[in-house]
Amino acid sequence: MTQQLDLPDIQGNIIRAYGRFGFPKGRFFFLRIDDGKMGRDFVGTITKKVTTSVSWGPDGIIPKPKAAINIAFTYNGLKALGLPRASLVGFPQEFIMGMKERKEILGDNGPSDPIYWDKVWEKHEDVHVAIAINAQTPENGQPLEYVEEAYQWVKSQIDDSHGGVVLLPGHRGDDGQEDLPFQDASILYDDHGQPCAKEHFGYTDGIGDPVFEGQITDEYRVAGRGKLTREGGWARLGTGEFLLGHPDEAHEYPKAPAPILLSRNGTFMVYRKLHQNVAKFESLLDAHAKSFPGGKELLAAKLAGRWRDNGAPIVNTPDAASKEAWDQRFAAADPRTRDGMLADFRFDLMGGKCPIGAHIRRINPRGSLEFGQDGAYDTPGALDDRRRILRRGLPYGVVRDRGSDDGNHGVIFMALNTSIERQFEFVQQQWINYANDSKEGSDKDVLLGNHNAAAPSKMVIHADPKSGQPPYFVSEIPRLVETRGGDYFFIPSMTALRMIAMGKVDPT
Amino acid sequence: MANISGKAYALTVLSPIKKGCIGDTSYQISYADEVQSRLHGLRDCEDSPLAKVPQTYLARFFILDDVFYESTPGCDPFCNLLDILSIFQDRFRLLTLPREDHLKSRYLVFSSNFHGDLENYLRGMWSAISADIKNIWEHCVAFDKVQDAEGFITYIKRCQLTANLFFNGSTNDPLEDDSLEEQLKALYLKQQFAKFAVSHQGLEAAELQEAFRAFIDRVQPNQLAAPTWSPGQSIP
Repeated sequence: MTQQLDLPDIQGNIIRAYGRFGFPKGRFFFLRIDDGKMGRDFVGTITKKVTTSVSWGPDGIIPKPKAAINIAFTYNGLKALGLPRASLVGFPQEFIMGMKERKEILGDNGPSDPIYWDKVWEKHEDVHVAIAINAQTPENGQPLEYVEEAYQWVKSQIDDSHGGVVLLPGHRGDDGQEDLPFQDASILYDDHGQPCAKEHFGYTDGIGDPVFEGQITDEYRVAGRGKLTREGGWARLGTGEFLLGHPDEAHEYPKAPAPILLSRNGTFMVYRKLHQNVAKFESLLDAHAKSFPGGKELLAAKLAGRWRDNGAPIVNTPDAASKEAWDQRFAAADPRTRDGMLADFRFDLMGGKCPIGAHIRRINPRGSLEFGQDGAYDTPGALDDRRRILRRGLPYGVVRDRGSDDGNHGVIFMALNTSIERQFEFVQQQWINYANDSKEGSDKDVLLGNHNAAAPSKMVIHADPKSGQPPYFVSEIPRLVETRGGDYFFIPSMTALRMIAMGKVDPT
Repeated sequence: MANISGKAYALTVLSPIKKGCIGDTSYQISYADEVQSRLHGLRDCEDSPLAKVPQTYLARFFILDDVFYESTPGCDPFCNLLDILSIFQDRFRLLTLPREDHLKSRYLVFSSNFHGDLENYLRGMWSAISADIKNIWEHCVAFDKVQDAEGFITYIKRCQLTANLFFNGSTNDPLEDDSLEEQLKALYLKQQFAKFAVSHQGLEAAELQEAFRAFIDRVQPNQLAAPTWSPGQSIP
């Protein structure tokens, strides 16, 4: 029998990327718990309004909410809430350490060093609770109305805790503020004011999010988002890659704390505020566009693996002519066909179409790490299937001047996985900041790598071997993305939230 | 012989460390712990003493405290039988428990993969870092008899184990293993050529050829000694 998930038990942000479900606005804020009892009462109150994964009307059980509320905890938060030691020691070490102490692994050095992070992270042991609000926008010209409503409600619960729960200030804002009590985020809008799925570099984001067993989604979305089978098809990934208490791709239960009721249907969240140096990105593109055959947009597409305008995978549109034909087909296609055109593809062996170091190829190699030797591993994606992450982030801030890196704009990157160490951290350390697996030496991901001038990285844009053309080298790559804060959180199930609130977590 | 693959040699040496303690009653440290402490004090990368030993591909020191305990095999039919018999007598159950093995002493392990033959290598090692050798091996059994390179060779051969696990990053043809100098030069050339390719892309053929000639003049592919990548070098 196929996996049936207990959707009312699972927090809604695990199953849904809210941005794609009509929730363009986000607000994230962090709390400290000074009193365990009041903290548990607070969690109990919030739990009653937490958005779960149940389907929404008209066929669903409940109508779609104006705002979704979700809650997560750091290790120190769970400790402050009085979880028994026997449960706490069962958490994975990277979660216990927190993001700041994992900076060597994550490559958070130079301008990404925690000393430059937003002040809210200064005393990271004080960050206990994360609350995420994702909201729809009303048609009344007040786009933040629903965000504000939900925020004020949570705030009133904080006030009612009489100092037991404290809202932490220290987020940088768009207008030079240093001490905001929350981080706002929003999908971006195009020149006509229409919402779009882009980030500040202009790429379309969030297309290849993984699909796993039990997730309610149209079956056609599995192609290109699940795992590759030896027969060339696609299947859903094991639930346990994204939800604790379920079998993962190794046919094991992921490491999780006791009791099982505390961990099952929960997962871990990586929250990272990533600043984007838009001016450096533009000048990198401009500098190389002069010499790169094919021009600026093709170059931008080669760096990421997708064209900036509509997300067309470069492997199927490696030049202007094929892109034009693809665009025509795309414009005429129905939504389902469009989705397949965006998501369902594999990479070319030699990288002549999609460079081996392109961003989307690095973070999800889609079986290409077999390097054409079919049967090298049990399945084509044996090296990638355990490194997938659900991405639940949103852009933040506004770019007012594309000629400047200053300001407060980037991506609130949120990754969900059952093992931060095996999934997110591995991808960050090995595939973003290093390239041994992809046989690209110590080259770093152009967009996300922690580039530094002392040991400059490069990217090889391979030419089709039959073309007789030389490869192109992208050199002198500046640090395009800088970490501005973040931590590791545990997103409990609804059952676990109720247990935490009642102080009834019993690992014996 | 299993220690040799082409021109690469895998040397594994286990030197027993004296039992007992150094020091008076106020501060005592076992000989093995003292050796451990000296190993921790060795410098690394370019400054490692091993970077001075000619022809070393890769080498390491560590202390072998004891062998690992292996637990009961999971599905051994004989054990299953004994398990059943343990209903009658407890000694059958005890028979299923694995035997614990222990070493008679703690060992200094030196493992090195190098180019060429053993005696020449050890002679080169002695002449390059004899002070370090004396410092590291001082507390090993019978090392006090070692006075010179020949004594060191005899001593190491007595402590040598047959081993055939290689790590030398060498050429595919086992008969054509390049010397360390050639490997380091090749690494240097690869790095320099990558830089050249990146900084000269898009030039006209004539210009490119001229630049390439200047590049070759600078990197001197036929000169192994210099310019090159130095042993232990960690940063380009």
